[in-house]
Amino acid sequence: MGELTLGVFPSLVGSMSLDFSFRLAEAAIAKGHKVNMWLSGNAVMMAKKGQKAFKDYSYNDKLMKELIAKGMEITACEACAEARGYHKEDAPEGMKRASMDWYLAKTVKTDRLLHIGGE
Amino acid sequence: MKLAVFLSDWRRTEDSFERLKADKMGVVLVGNGIYHAVVKENGKDSPVLSKAGASYYVLADDLEIRGYTAANVNSKVKVISYGDIVDLIMNDYEKTAWL
Repeated sequence: MGELTLGVFPSLVGSMSLDFSFRLAEAAIAKGHKVNMWLSGNAVMMAKKGQKAFKDYSYNDKLMKELIAKGMEITACEACAEARGYHKEDAPEGMKRASMDWYLAKTVKTDRLLHIGGE
Repeated sequence: MKLAVFLSDWRRTEDSFERLKADKMGVVLVGNGIYHAVVKENGKDSPVLSKAGASYYVLADDLEIRGYTAANVNSKVKVISYGDIVDLIMNDYEKTAWL
């Protein structure tokens, strides 16, 4: 099995590309692949624990926790998070925070890379 | 190079798309990019579907959430799942691009 790294750079809250990223990660893990996910820009909305599910509203918190439990490595851009007022203590269990260096290192070593842009 | 291109929007991305060259190219229509697979303008297919030698795919989930089914999809385009996308990335193409 291979290693897939996803760079997630979405735009607004409820972004379709953020939803896409988690569902693609879920499918890759189901096939036995290792998945790394880098959250940048507004994707750091996932770096806030205690999110609530509403009907007809994008909600990835539950799936994210399931994927972390299955071995997905997920790291949020620390600067992007701090810029939005999300601090280290806000991050969900299992999520790392780091500089862009983390993502760049993954892009070099990973078998495949999908850099998912905004909308 | 074997390149998988993800088109995620209906906006005109032909300029960027047309410049892309690869020995083998797969075009994966996701998000609002699925409209390239189902909408005709003035009776014509989307220009995106005219890339010589390219293979075309559209994500079933993103079709269905917009009210379309496989029956609506252009015959040049294959309807696929998230799992199929994983296989394309990991097995069939070396590089990816997101437009």
